[in-house]
Order: sequence, then structure tokens, then C-alpha cells
Amino acid sequence: MLFNSLTFVVFFIVVLAAYWDMRNWDDRKNLLVIASYIFYGAWNPPFAALLFSTTAMDFWLGRQMSRAEGRRSRRAWLVASLCMNLSMLGFFKYGNFLLENFQWLLARFGIVYQPPHLDILLPVGISFYTFHSLSYTLDIYRDVLKPTKSLRDFVLAVSFFPQLVAGPIVRAGDFLPQLVRPQPLRTGQFFWGLLLMTLGLFEKIVLADMMLAGSADRIFGYAGPLVAVDSWLGVMAFAGQIFFDFAGYSTCAIGAALCLGFHLKDNFRFPYAAVGFSDFWRRWHISLSTFLRDYLYIPLGGNQVRPVRAGTNLVIVMFLGGLWHGAAWTFVVWGLLHGSYLVVERVLRGLFEHKAWAGTLATRLLGGFATFAAVCIAWVFFRAPDFTTAGRMLGGMFGGHPNGDAILTTREMLQIGFVTAGMILVHWFLRDTNIETAVMRAPPWLVTTGWTFMACAIILTQGNSNAFIYFQF
Amino acid sequence: MPSSISNFKRRLRLPRLFFRKPPEIESIHGGPPLEYVRPIPELPWHGITVAVVLIVIAASFAWELYCRSIGYGPTLNDNTDLWTSARRQVRPDSIVIIGDSRAWFDLDLDELQKGLGRRPVQLAMGGSCAYPVLVDLANDKNFHGTVICSVVPHLFMAPPGTPPMDHSEKAVRRSHNQTLAQRASQYLAMPLEGHVAFLKQEELTLDDLLKRLPIPNRSYALVSPRFPPYFGTLDRERRARMIEDCARPGELQSTIQQIWLPLFSPAPPPTYIPKAEFAKQMGQAIEQRFHDVAAAVQKLRSRGCKIVFVRLPNSGELKALEDRETPRAAFWDRIIKDTAVPGIYYEDFPDLASFKCPEWSHLSAGDSVEFSKRLIPHLRAALEM
Repeated sequence: MLFNSLTFVVFFIVVLAAYWDMRNWDDRKNLLVIASYIFYGAWNPPFAALLFSTTAMDFWLGRQMSRAEGRRSRRAWLVASLCMNLSMLGFFKYGNFLLENFQWLLARFGIVYQPPHLDILLPVGISFYTFHSLSYTLDIYRDVLKPTKSLRDFVLAVSFFPQLVAGPIVRAGDFLPQLVRPQPLRTGQFFWGLLLMTLGLFEKIVLADMMLAGSADRIFGYAGPLVAVDSWLGVMAFAGQIFFDFAGYSTCAIGAALCLGFHLKDNFRFPYAAVGFSDFWRRWHISLSTFLRDYLYIPLGGNQVRPVRAGTNLVIVMFLGGLWHGAAWTFVVWGLLHGSYLVVERVLRGLFEHKAWAGTLATRLLGGFATFAAVCIAWVFFRAPDFTTAGRMLGGMFGGHPNGDAILTTREMLQIGFVTAGMILVHWFLRDTNIETAVMRAPPWLVTTGWTFMACAIILTQGNSNAFIYFQF
Repeated sequence: MPSSISNFKRRLRLPRLFFRKPPEIESIHGGPPLEYVRPIPELPWHGITVAVVLIVIAASFAWELYCRSIGYGPTLNDNTDLWTSARRQVRPDSIVIIGDSRAWFDLDLDELQKGLGRRPVQLAMGGSCAYPVLVDLANDKNFHGTVICSVVPHLFMAPPGTPPMDHSEKAVRRSHNQTLAQRASQYLAMPLEGHVAFLKQEELTLDDLLKRLPIPNRSYALVSPRFPPYFGTLDRERRARMIEDCARPGELQSTIQQIWLPLFSPAPPPTYIPKAEFAKQMGQAIEQRFHDVAAAVQKLRSRGCKIVFVRLPNSGELKALEDRETPRAAFWDRIIKDTAVPGIYYEDFPDLASFKCPEWSHLSAGDSVEFSKRLIPHLRAALEM
């Protein structure tokens, strides 16, 4: 079920009405479990069974781990949880990718092997809910979370419908405590939640799908060489599209959760105002970057190791981060690019951080634009279906096709220009604050106008219930 | 003396996750889980919400009135979900209409039901190529019914990757992959679209309004062709009827006539492929299509299916353009010859040739009923009914 669909509107109204009408906290939680499984099963009912089975396994493994005595025994249970979750993810998401690469490797040695193409249907949001569930056993192992006694509560923590299929990656440790006591339902919080949902849908339907997606698709789908202007505009259109698409989903999820009395953390914090790549990853897909930081980077040694090792760790983490997004080498290159950006930044910081000019506004602005440009270059590999397309795009961006084609219409160029400029300006103005503070400072008439404008634009745009980009991950 | 494990760990620098207890810094909350509470802006939310709801309702109502005042009326959107709901109606022995918008506008389901004894399922799609649907039916092992296939060569021979092919392929794909949620959304959308005039996904959207802004383009910009404005309604069975405004001579009619001409003209070859190479590729794609259509027809007939190709009326300059760009001998005759399937070319029959299309491409709602009546004997003969 998509947030931007009529089915969700009806579903959400029914769930809200029933939820607010109930007085008993257990009844409310039961309702949310049922609603979450209906929400997920509406894509493909058998996958709801898969979701439940991985959740139940992790619940049981977490309990076994907490009962186990001795480090070795706890580790064994953790390994079991990791194997179960990652093998499930590996089979559904990486099965064909691994087979194809195995075939390629054998061919290098002159062995002809024709693997059967596995007709595997990827369960929606498997990367997200696997991480929701995995965080539980990881945190129990790390002694930062006590296992819950209620399977129902854990099932709800993993499958809570607002964040189930495309994040944020809500850790069990963040959500389970909210299930202990009844969450108070306040009307101010409810209306703020509705406003956030409107904002999220506006970002998705109007900005991502209507203003930018068409141009990005045209540029990345064009089979010929393009001039630099069109290539850069196409990449900038995608940079905006993926931000509004994913941040829109996260904002909707946060808003929907608020309407039900739950609090999810921010997943984006004005990322295109980042100065440097470590700053970017503190602002972009925060729930994934902190997950990778806490469960992978720090256990690998974090910053507490020699610089060369720390740099290697960064690249390893970003390599896996890239692979998490999709079973393709283009995603791996995207991750490796970000890993190398982080390493270069670390080196530059070591050399120049204490210079007087390093903290000036001009340097920060320059750093901000350089970060945005480098992020855009990495997006080429994220969006391109193959390396041929990526190479052609990069060739165009760096002046390799001076006689290439110029295909964008003036309207498309203006749309990309206005939306990108607006997005970057808003990010810069709000980079050190949050949306709640910004809204609090605004007069009520301005909030009313903004909310009305967004709602009218959504109705006027109508939308085609396009799936969110991150559903495929 | 260090143990072999710690030695091993030191040498390989393996991840420490399995070898030590995490220090305080690794604790995700710096200790036991804390409840996170989002700040809620303190504003007069009741007043704001009531104002927003009232303004949005008033604005929507005003927009609806405006759209109706300039000639728009409620109609269903022809999207992949509506097509899928029709595809689901196909039974093993159904009569199925496939093809383009001419089959939509020109064939009246009531008359065909009277004449053929069974109500056909309308699977034609506006601006689409029938080939993917033909293949889908050929691959449906349960289907052994009858196929009435409208042929507009410009669309029927559209090579892969072009909009007519993409349109059909998308619909066929949706019919195989439609989720319960998408199906439910379609059921919820139909009553709304049937009553609200401004719900037109391809015309009255913000995107379309922006496209109408008169902004000059660079000389080589790839500008999407303009599509005709609203000129027909579509019902739940996907039967289209031309609106009266279009059926009578006037501005709408002449506007649509002029829109068809660029849409039916061959697209210029891409700049990055030499013209000769492009022509060669197009020729190969067309040959391949003849071959693939014959294979699909053979597959259908091997299961006992009946099939008839129909060329529906066109008029005016559009007819001249189609005759010039896709001559009958090179396309229609070749399809009939390669597939050995009966064909009904409207010009071959005086009772069918007398119809005129008001906007050059489709029959008016009234004429479509009479045309369908007259078509039935020809269909019965072709299908040996």
C-alpha cells in the first residue's frame, strides 16, 4: 500500500478512527499489528508470512541470547540471528546477482556455466525490516537492550506500518520503550502529524514525481551523447527527485506515527547544506548511516585505530552501504565513491582544519557546493542502469560531448533550476535548526497558507500512485 | 603468552564485534534505551486545520466549476488499472477487442453483443500498439476465444521502446503484477472519476498546465508531441464515446485534427545514429514485427482461437498521411498475407466506407453504433460464425 494512494487514505482513516476510539492500550497495539500486516499483505499476502517468521525467529533468538551464560554462547545466538537475517536478504535480494557474478568468474577461467535464472520476487522493503529486526538481537548482544517479553510488541516494533517498507530504519531499542506505556493522544500532535504527512506527500507527488522525475528519466534514458548543461541538469533533477522521494516518505512515516502517538526520529536533516561528506552522512538517511556506524564501523575499530585502517574501514562500510541499496555493481561504485570521499575529507581535514581560512563563510560555501557537486557525481552511478550509461553521463558532465544533443525543454530546465535552487536555499537556511522550530517561529497565517498550498498542489497534480524509489531496496 | 585467538585477531585485524564487550561510546543511547519525543510546535492547530480544510474544499469546488465551464465532464481515466480490470473479465471463450483508440470509439459493445451473441471485452488502448496484448493472449493457455484486432499500422508496427509499445507493455505487466492495494485503489477511484470533471490524469494536472506555458525552446530540444484535449468519455467497460462538441464542426474539432498530423508523422531519426543505419534498424524491427505477429497468431489458432484484423475508418488529411506513410500494400496486405487471417478493411465495403470521422480519426458516438451494426455481418463472415 502506497502512502500516495486512495487505498491508503481509506485505510488510514479507518485505522485512525478505530485507534482513537479505543481506550485499552493492548487493544490499540493489537489493532496496529493487524493494520500493519494488512498494509504489508496488500502487496503480496505470502510475504506477510515471511515477515512474521523472521520477526518471530529474532524474538526467540533474542530471548535465547539473554538467557545464555557466557560470551561464547551469546555470540553463537547472535551469529544465528545474523545468518538467518542476512541469508534471507541474500537469497531474495542478491540471489541472481551472485549467480551472475559466479558465472562471470567461471568464464574468466574458461568454464562455461549457465546458471538457472531464479524467478525471485523481491519482498517489498526487505532491506528495511531485516534491519529493524536485526537491531533487536544486536542490541541485546551489546547489552544495550533488554529483550521484550511480548512477542506482540516485538512484532509491532518490526512491522509498524508507517516505517515498515521504506524506513526510517527504526531500531527496536527506539520503539519498544514506546510500547510499554500507553502513548498519549494529543490533538496538537495529531494535526502536526497530518501537516507532516501533507508535506511528505507534497515532496513526493509534486516535487519528486511531477517537477523532476520526467526530466531525470529523459536524460538517463537518452541513448545518445548529451551536452554538459543537459547532463548536469539531469543529474541535479535526480538529486532532487531522490531527496524529495525518500525524505517525503520519511516525513509521511513520521507524520503518520505522530497521528498514532508514536515518535520516530528524523531521517533527513537538510542534507544538501552539508559541508563535507561526514556532514552529509549525518544528514542523509540518518537511520541507515547510524546503523552502519554503530553496528559495523565502530566494531571494525571506528576512529580508534590507525588512520590507514580507519580509512579502510570507512570504505568497507560504504561498500556495504552501497550494496545494501541494490544488487548491482553500480550501487557498489556509488558506495565506494562515498567511501573514498570520506577518506579524502579526513585527509584534508587533518591538513587544513586548523588554518584560519578553513572556518570562513566563503570556505564553507565553497565546501558546500563542492560537496553537492561530488554527491551529484556519485548519484550518476546510483541512477544509471549500467556503466555505459554512467560513462556517457559523466562524459557529458565534464565536457566530453561538446557537440552532443540538447534535449531538455526550457520549461524542464526552469523547473529543475527553480526546484534545485529552492531546495538548496531552504537547506542552507535551516541547516542548523529543524522543521519544528521553523514552523514554531512562523505566524499561524503563514502555516495555514503553506499547508493549503501544499494540499491544493497535491490535488491539482493528482499523481499516478508512483512507487517510492526506496521501495525497491 | 597471547592466546592463538588473540594472535589471530591481531594479525588479521578482524572485526572486534565478536571479541570484546562494546565500550560505553558504542551504546546507541549511551545506556539503556530512552524514549524519544519529537517536539510539537505550539500553534492554534484547531483553527489552522479548519481554515485549511475549508479553503481546500472551496478551491477544489471552484476548480471543478471552472473545468466544467470550459467543456470538461467526468470520465474514467484510461490507466493500467482500468485496463487490468477489463483484462480480468476475459474468460476462456470471450470475444476480445484489442488495438488502438479507434476500436474504443468506433465499436459499440451493445451492438456487437446483439450481433455476435456475446458481450466483447474491450482491451484496446488509446495510442497503443496491439502486439503486446496479442502476445499476452497467445501466452494465456486458458484463452481459446475470439480476437478482434484493430490495426493502425503506425501504432501496430511501433518498435520496442516507443511510447505505443511501452503503453501496452506497461498495462500487460500491471495485469500480471497488480497488487490488492492497487486493485482497491482502482475501485475507489472509479466513483470519484465518474463524478469529478477535473480528475484527468493526462490533461488537467499541474504538470499539464505547466506544459501549456508558452515558453520558447532551444532549437534541438526534444519536445513531446501535443496530445488531443478532452474529446470523449470512457465508461467502466472502457467503451469510449465522442462528446458532442467534438462531433460538430468547431474549434475543438479542428484543433484535434491538427494534433493528429504530427502524432502520425514519422519521428525524426535520432542524431546519434546515422540515417542509413537508423533506416536499416527500423526495417529490421518492422520485419521482426511481421514475423512475431505471425507467430503469435499461429499460437492462438493452434488452440482454436479465432482472430480477425480490422482497419477502422479514418478521414481527411490524416487518411492521406496514413496512406502515404504506411501504404496498404506494404503493411495491411502483408499482415494479412503473413498471418493468413481474415481482414476487414473498411474501404473494401461500401456500407462501411461511407462513414466520416469528424476529427479525422474516430467516429462520433452516434455513427459508432450504426457502424458497429454494419460491421457485424462482415465479422460473422470473417469469423465463420
